[in-house]
Amino acid sequence: MNMIYILFSLMFGGAILTFLAHKVSGLLRDILFVLTILASTVLFYTKIHTGDAVDFSISGLPLQWGINAYGRIFSLIVLGLGVMASFYSVSYMKGKERLGYFYFNFLISLISMMGILMSHDLVSFFIFWEMMTWSSYFIVIYNGKHVQRSGINYILFSALGAYAMLMAIVMVYAHTQSLMIQDMMQAFPFFPVAYKVWLPILFLTAFGVKAAMMPLHVWAPDAYSDSPMAYTSVFSGALSKMGIYGMIIVFVTMVNYLPDDTWFRETIAWLGAITAIMGTLWAIAQDDARKLLAWSSVAQLGYIITGVAVGTPLAMLSALFLSVMHALFKGTLFMAVGAIEKQTGTTKFNEVTGLIRKMPWTFISSLLAIIALAGIPPLGGFVGKWMLYESLINSNHYILVIAIFFASTSAFLYCYKFLFGFFLGQEEKEWEQVKEAPALMVLPMLIMATLLLVFGVFPGIVLNPIDLGMQTLGFSTTAGTFWSMSGLFNEWGNQVMLQPLVYAIGGTFLFFLILLTVKGFKETRYVTTKDISSSGEVPLEHENLTFSEGFYQPFLRAVWPVMKRRMMSYYQGFGQGMEAFFDYLRRVYSGNGQTYAIYVLVFVVILLLFKNSLFG
Amino acid sequence: MKEILYYTWGAIVSFVVAFSVGITYMGLNRKITARVQNRYGPPWYQNFIDVIKLSSKKTSIHHGVMQHMGPAFIMVTSVVSLLVIPILNGNKFFPNLNFQGDLIFLLYIMVFGPLGMALGAGQTGNPNSAIGVTRGLSQMAGFEIPWVMALVALMIQYKTTSIVDLMNVQVESGRWLMFSSPFAFLAAVMAMLGMFRYAPFDIVGAPQELASGPMSENGGKYLFVMMSAGSVFAFAKLTLYVDIFMGGADNLIILVVKTFALYLIPMLYGITSPRYRTEQSVRWFWGWPSFFGLLAILQAALF
Repeated sequence: MNMIYILFSLMFGGAILTFLAHKVSGLLRDILFVLTILASTVLFYTKIHTGDAVDFSISGLPLQWGINAYGRIFSLIVLGLGVMASFYSVSYMKGKERLGYFYFNFLISLISMMGILMSHDLVSFFIFWEMMTWSSYFIVIYNGKHVQRSGINYILFSALGAYAMLMAIVMVYAHTQSLMIQDMMQAFPFFPVAYKVWLPILFLTAFGVKAAMMPLHVWAPDAYSDSPMAYTSVFSGALSKMGIYGMIIVFVTMVNYLPDDTWFRETIAWLGAITAIMGTLWAIAQDDARKLLAWSSVAQLGYIITGVAVGTPLAMLSALFLSVMHALFKGTLFMAVGAIEKQTGTTKFNEVTGLIRKMPWTFISSLLAIIALAGIPPLGGFVGKWMLYESLINSNHYILVIAIFFASTSAFLYCYKFLFGFFLGQEEKEWEQVKEAPALMVLPMLIMATLLLVFGVFPGIVLNPIDLGMQTLGFSTTAGTFWSMSGLFNEWGNQVMLQPLVYAIGGTFLFFLILLTVKGFKETRYVTTKDISSSGEVPLEHENLTFSEGFYQPFLRAVWPVMKRRMMSYYQGFGQGMEAFFDYLRRVYSGNGQTYAIYVLVFVVILLLFKNSLFG
Repeated sequence: MKEILYYTWGAIVSFVVAFSVGITYMGLNRKITARVQNRYGPPWYQNFIDVIKLSSKKTSIHHGVMQHMGPAFIMVTSVVSLLVIPILNGNKFFPNLNFQGDLIFLLYIMVFGPLGMALGAGQTGNPNSAIGVTRGLSQMAGFEIPWVMALVALMIQYKTTSIVDLMNVQVESGRWLMFSSPFAFLAAVMAMLGMFRYAPFDIVGAPQELASGPMSENGGKYLFVMMSAGSVFAFAKLTLYVDIFMGGADNLIILVVKTFALYLIPMLYGITSPRYRTEQSVRWFWGWPSFFGLLAILQAALF
């Protein structure tokens, strides 16, 4: 039997067994859950090689599953994050209800993501896509919080995307009589012009929903923040990347063949930039860490979309690299929020402060992830940002690069808010008893944060598989021209060599740290955060002077004109308009038998009156 | 090994130069401010005395590890940007790493330190520190826009992101970029007003209002390292401006003259100005400075 069948039966079997084991014992269920993901990861990377494929057919439809180098990049995200999140969720979900349901859907969404990456035909692609939507929907409503708002919004927009994709698939099949993605790619240059324009638009609608592209993003902040944090790390880190996966295919195989592709690329690139700016501004305005990270995910996906849409080899590299980095740092951050939620019971910045001494490991991993998110060297985020800017400048997108830069500079604001809100500020009696999260939750965060550091110094480790994947898509190799193991180059031949710079940073830091510590730390003693000189007054024990309410009010006042117009209000306006319209229609269909009798009567009278003119 | 020693030596020499020049500038600033306000003012070497005094003081309290590390973070920005910015034309006397980083790296390493220090300031629990930090970050989102616009304009005009290449362009043509790209220079100088945080953009430290903001809980060694980092960074920024817009410098004396001429701009503008509120400051940078930045990009793209 082929290994691909074994992989899928292993995952499906594991999911069902985990679900059933919930009835037997909690421990067995946890073990089965982790084992399923671990075993399928090991199987995938040891036994299934690039280029493997299986053909089969269901009721006459030829289908094909397989994996290529391009799908393998995303499989790194899905399975890597999946393994980390599985360990994390075992500890995070302990003591919650309906765990069989949660683990089952968790596994199904991992399976469907792998299925999307391994589908070589449009039918299985669509089926796996829907499975992914439904399994994530079930987890979004798992908590039972705001089911109306977050759940309905999510499923509504996903349905919109799915219909768009289904329409595109039907169009492709009508024209080529084949469902293979390969056939579609080869036939695309010969499609009629109307098809050439509509197919990418329809596909991009479907993928744009999952990637939370403006104006299809409105579901994302609620859905990300309402699902359990153990899953949100996968949701925002891996599941949204499926949108990027599809988008890249659309851009490489379809948009390239459009008669005039510039306007198309520019539109999507600008949509990405606007997504990044607005996502960032809204993230700054949030007082809840989950909401903040959710908006920040929307913004980060905006950068990636811009990179994909610009589409030069360097831009594509940066988009794929940022996808991997985003999975790592956003996974870490959502896990950190989950850890804090579990230990303190709240995720609001104005409720919990000063956790740095209680949860040091969570702090360190959040710190590294935040530095990567902000794009500050020497962590991985910088590499992606650098490549994105250079590619935009090299490809003459001057205003776009300013827009992206604005989003990325403003991101520092919410980055600081996250760290300050939870970990810094005055320590309070209320949170004195808080302990560090269990090791099973801390370890995945630490591992991912360390990876960010490693990839920041040696980006070649990640860029190598990305380069192989891009060659599958028809790009020529970029190794040596744009990157080496720890160096980055742009099209003009300028370079950033990361290793010497990182040594300089590390050396300087250590030198001054030692200088401070040798003379300073020994002779100083620790004093609490109440022992401060705020204008000569020392705050009392019960006085909390932490600054967390209206944190960025002045900044928000400055940008408010931009934020006044919300996409959600347009949708709501549309919804209200539709409601009013249907309310009007209800006057006709009043539900009253006598009214209907009159309608019939009037109809018959009309028929009789105009009998001659109608039927001659 | 020899290479590492060579660069370490270069780093130490440039650090010493930057430190003494930067501290002198700060002292001159105090003196000039005093003369403008019709006071006598401290001697120009007052800041040397202050720094020596601070470094010899005993620090007795700290608020935790992050606060302890804060000054080291801010020092990283100062030293690494000093290493990446070429001090003199042709890499003379001051061997540094400028061929291993470029302008975009520099832009990002410039925020590494302030963010690290902000974390240190946050741990002290002093509300003034956090207020100062939020103001500083907001203002940064403001002035980075014209500053990046100016840099992007230069990058696309000369098809390079490397500082050394921009310097070579000026040496070869014999024309300073401040004359050939005047709008970029205007936008960059206006952004510099925000970078130096003198009035009207002194909302971060905000004397008489925030009690020196993020610095407020630091004394002794911590303040010593912060002050030296500030001086070194000021010199590094001025050198960057000289490198990019004023043709670099062939020797130290020319460099000092040029940097001091540039330094007079934010200093004199500051002495004669009151203080903006945060949102006014942010919006100011998105107004005329960004307009000039836009003109600079247009000039670079069209001509």
